[in-house]
Amino acid sequence: MVSATDIAVGLIAWAFSVHLPLVYTVLGLGWLLPTLELIGYRRNNQVYVDLAHNMANYLITVYAIGGLFGTIITVFLAGLLPIFTNIAGALLWPVWGVAIAFGVAIALPFIGFYYRSFGRIDPMKHVVIGYGMAVALTVIPAMFRLVFAFINYPAGVEVFKDETSLVGFTLGINWSQVFLNPTYAPLFLATLFGAIAMTGILINSIFGWRYAIDKSEYRLMGYRISNWISLVFGVVYALFAGLYLYEVYLYSPTVAWSILSKPPAYLPSSLYSVYEPTMILTGVFYMDVALGIILLILIVLSFRFINRSISALKLILVLLLMTSAEVMNGLAHLPYAIVPPLSAVPKLVSNYGLQFTLQVANTLKVSTLLTPELNALVQLVSVQPGLLYGSLVIFAIFNALLLYVIYAALSWKWTPQILRVEKQ
Amino acid sequence: MMDQPILGAPTDIRVVSAVGILAHLSLASSFLGTILLAIVAEFLYIRKHNQFWYNTARTFSVISTIFFGVGAAFGTLVEFGLVTLWSNFISLIGEAIVLPFYLELFAFLIEVIILPLYVFTWNKIKNQVLHWIIGIVAAFGGYYSAYNILAVMASLSMRPPGLEVINLYQATGQNVVGLTDYVIKWASPIDAWNMFWWGANVFIFHGILAVVILTWSIIAAIYLYLYIHDRKPERLMILKILVPTVAVLTAIQGFVIGHLQGELVLQDDPLKLAALEGMFWSGLKIDPLTSFFAYGTFNHAFWGYFSWPTYERPPAFVSVFYWVFMVIFGILLGIWSGALSLWYLFPGFFDRFSWAKTLASFFERSSVYLMPFFAAFASIGGAVSAESGRYPFILVQADPNPSGGPPVITGVPVGPGGLLNPTLYFPVWLAVLVLIVEIAMPSLAVYMVYLYLRGMPRREEAKVVEY
Repeated sequence: MVSATDIAVGLIAWAFSVHLPLVYTVLGLGWLLPTLELIGYRRNNQVYVDLAHNMANYLITVYAIGGLFGTIITVFLAGLLPIFTNIAGALLWPVWGVAIAFGVAIALPFIGFYYRSFGRIDPMKHVVIGYGMAVALTVIPAMFRLVFAFINYPAGVEVFKDETSLVGFTLGINWSQVFLNPTYAPLFLATLFGAIAMTGILINSIFGWRYAIDKSEYRLMGYRISNWISLVFGVVYALFAGLYLYEVYLYSPTVAWSILSKPPAYLPSSLYSVYEPTMILTGVFYMDVALGIILLILIVLSFRFINRSISALKLILVLLLMTSAEVMNGLAHLPYAIVPPLSAVPKLVSNYGLQFTLQVANTLKVSTLLTPELNALVQLVSVQPGLLYGSLVIFAIFNALLLYVIYAALSWKWTPQILRVEKQ
Repeated sequence: MMDQPILGAPTDIRVVSAVGILAHLSLASSFLGTILLAIVAEFLYIRKHNQFWYNTARTFSVISTIFFGVGAAFGTLVEFGLVTLWSNFISLIGEAIVLPFYLELFAFLIEVIILPLYVFTWNKIKNQVLHWIIGIVAAFGGYYSAYNILAVMASLSMRPPGLEVINLYQATGQNVVGLTDYVIKWASPIDAWNMFWWGANVFIFHGILAVVILTWSIIAAIYLYLYIHDRKPERLMILKILVPTVAVLTAIQGFVIGHLQGELVLQDDPLKLAALEGMFWSGLKIDPLTSFFAYGTFNHAFWGYFSWPTYERPPAFVSVFYWVFMVIFGILLGIWSGALSLWYLFPGFFDRFSWAKTLASFFERSSVYLMPFFAAFASIGGAVSAESGRYPFILVQADPNPSGGPPVITGVPVGPGGLLNPTLYFPVWLAVLVLIVEIAMPSLAVYMVYLYLRGMPRREEAKVVEY
C-alpha cells in the first residue's frame, strides 16, 4: 500500500519535474531574446533579430504552461502539506508577494508588450523593454529559490516554546537573516545560469535538427550562437552548482548526507539518527555529473559537426540533467520538509531541553506536517484509492498531450519579420 | 463591560481581496461567456453553412483565449492573495476543502491544453464536427473549473454536511503553531464529496447562470449598438440568439434557482437573511413580504438583524446590494431582455401595433446601455450579497439556540486567530498598489481584445512561410 507521504512526495515531485524545465526555459529566453536583438542591431544583422522574434512566440506558450504547473504545485502543497504551506506562507509572505507581483503583474505585461512591439518602436527602446522583461522574470526565481534555500537551512527562523501551540512551539522570523542564507545565493545563481545554458542547448538542438533539411543562414546562425551560449553558461552553471553543493554540505546535513551517501564530517555521531536522510541519492548525483560531462563533450563536438543524432541526444540529456538535478535537490531533504539547522541545536537544548529540541525536529518532518489525521485528500485516497490511480492515468495522458502541444508549438510555421514589414 | 471578540479583518485587506475576486470573476465570466458563444456559433455554422457564424465562432474563440490567459494569470494573483493575506485558509484547504481544488486541476489542464488546440486548428482540422467537439471539451474545462471553484465558495457560505469546525482554543486552550485557533475536519473521509451537496449545486448553478447572463448581455449590447447603426441582417441573427437566451436564463435565475438559494439562506444562515432582507430589528417580528416568499403566508416571524451581537453581524449595506442591485436590476434585466426578445422573435405579430413599435424602439435603444448595466450590477450585487453576507465567518452554520434566543451562528472567523495572517504588515500604499494592479489587469485583457479586433483583417491576409 502506498503511504500518504509517498503520495504527497510523488505528486509534488511530478508537478515540479514538469514545471521547472518550463520555467527554466522562460528565464533563459527572457535574457537571450533581448541580447540576440541587441547583437543584431549592433551588427546590423537582421537574422539575430529574427531569431529573437521567432523565439518570442515560444516564450508566451512556455510561460503559460509553466504558470499552469505553478498553480498545480500550489494546490498540491496546500492540499497535501497544508500546515507546511501555511507556515511558509505566513512566515515568508513578502517573498510570495514579491514573486507573484513580478511573476504576473509585471512580467506578463512585459512579455506581451515586448512581443507586440517588435518592429513597431525604436529598436534600442525595444531592447530595453526586453531587459526589463528579463529582470522581472528573474525576480521570480530570486524569490522562490529563497524558499528552497529555506528548506535546506531555515536562516532567520526563531523558535519560541509555547504550551498553547498544538506542536508546543511557535515560529518567528528575523528578516535581516533570511537573505543571508548561505545556500541561497549559489542556488539562485546556479539556477539563473543553468536556465540560460539549458535554453541554449534546447535552441541548439532544435536548430541543429532543422538544419539537416533547411540549410539556411538563419538556422546556422541560431545553431552557432546557441552552442556558444550553452558552453559558456554551462561552465558557469557548473561552478555555482559546485559552490551550492559545498554550502549545502556545510549547512544542511540531511541534504549533504543524501547526496554524498555519508554524513558530513562535522556532524556528531550522536545526531546521526536525527539527520539521517530517507533516501540516498548518490546514484542520481553521479548520473548528473556524468550527464554534465557528456553534454560538455557533445557541445564541443557541435562546434565541428551539425548532426541530427547529437542534436536529439543533447535535447534529451539536458532535460534529464535538469529534471534529475532538481528532483534530487527536492528529495534530498526528506524526511524533513525543513531541515533543522545544526547550529540551532545547542541553543534549543540549553534553553528548552533535549526533549523539546527533538520535538521541534520531529515537527519539521514531512510525515508530521502532512498531518494525515487532518488531511482530507490523503484520508479520502486511503478509502478510495481509485481516485489516486485514476488521477495518475489522467496526469500521464495530459503529460503526453503537453509534449504534443510543445512539439506542435516548436514545429509551428512562422512569418519572418521581413515579410511582416513588407506586408505593412 | 465585557471585551467583545474581534472576528473581522481590517477593511483595507478586505477591500483588496474583494476587488481582486470581483476582477477575477469578471475575467472568468468573460471567458466562459465567450467560449460558449464560440461553440454555439460553430454549431450554427455546421448546421447552416453561413460564413457569418464561422467568423463569429472563430473571433470569439480567440477572444475567449485572451480572457482565459489574463484570467488564469489573475487567478494566480488571487491564489497568492490567499497565501499571503489569509494564510490560514491554506490549512483549511488541506484539512477539508481540498477536493474541489484537486478536481479543478484536471479542468485547468483541459483548458490549458485543449483551448489552444481549438483556437489554432481552425481550417487545419478538415472535419468541422471534430473541431467543434474539441471546442466543447475546451468549454467543458472552463465550466468544470468554475463548478469546482463555486463549490468552494458555496462551502464558505453554507457549511457542507459532515464538516466539523473545531475551535481549538475554546476546546483545549491551544492553537496551530501560533497561526490559527481553528481546525476543520470531515466526520468521515468519504464526506469530502459533500462539497458537492445539493445546496452547493444550487449555489454553483446560480453563479454559472449569472456568468452567462452577464457576458451575453454585454455582447448583446455591442451587437445591438452595431445593429442600430447599420441594420445588417447578420447582427439581427445573433441578437435572436443572445437576447432571448438572456431573458430565459434571467427568468430561471429569478424564479427557480434564486428562490432555491433564498430557501437555503433561510435555513442555514438566518443572520445573513436578516441582513439581506433589511430586517433591521431586534428579536422576533413578522415580516409579511419575506414570509410570503419563504412560506407562502403573511404571518411568519423572523429574527431581526440586531438580535445578534455586533461583532457577529455582516455589514448592513448588503441589503442595498441584495435588493437594489441584485433583485431590482435583475428584474429590470428580465423585463428589458424579455421585451426585446418578443420583438425579435415575433415581429410579424407585434408589427401590427404602433404602440409595440414605439416600445420596441425604446427598448432597443435603451438596451444598448441598460442591459449591460443591469446585468453587471445584478452580478456584483449577487456576489457581494453572498460573500459579504456571511462576514465575519466562513463555513457558516446556524444551530438552534438552547436558551431560546436567535440561532447560534458558527464558523471560522476571517480575523485574527481565524484566517488572517498574524505576521502580516499591510500598509495603505501597498494596498493601493495591489488595487491598481487588480484594476489594470482586466483593462489589459480588454485592450488586448481591442488590439485583436483591430488587427483582424491584416492577420487574415498575412502570408505564412516556413523558415
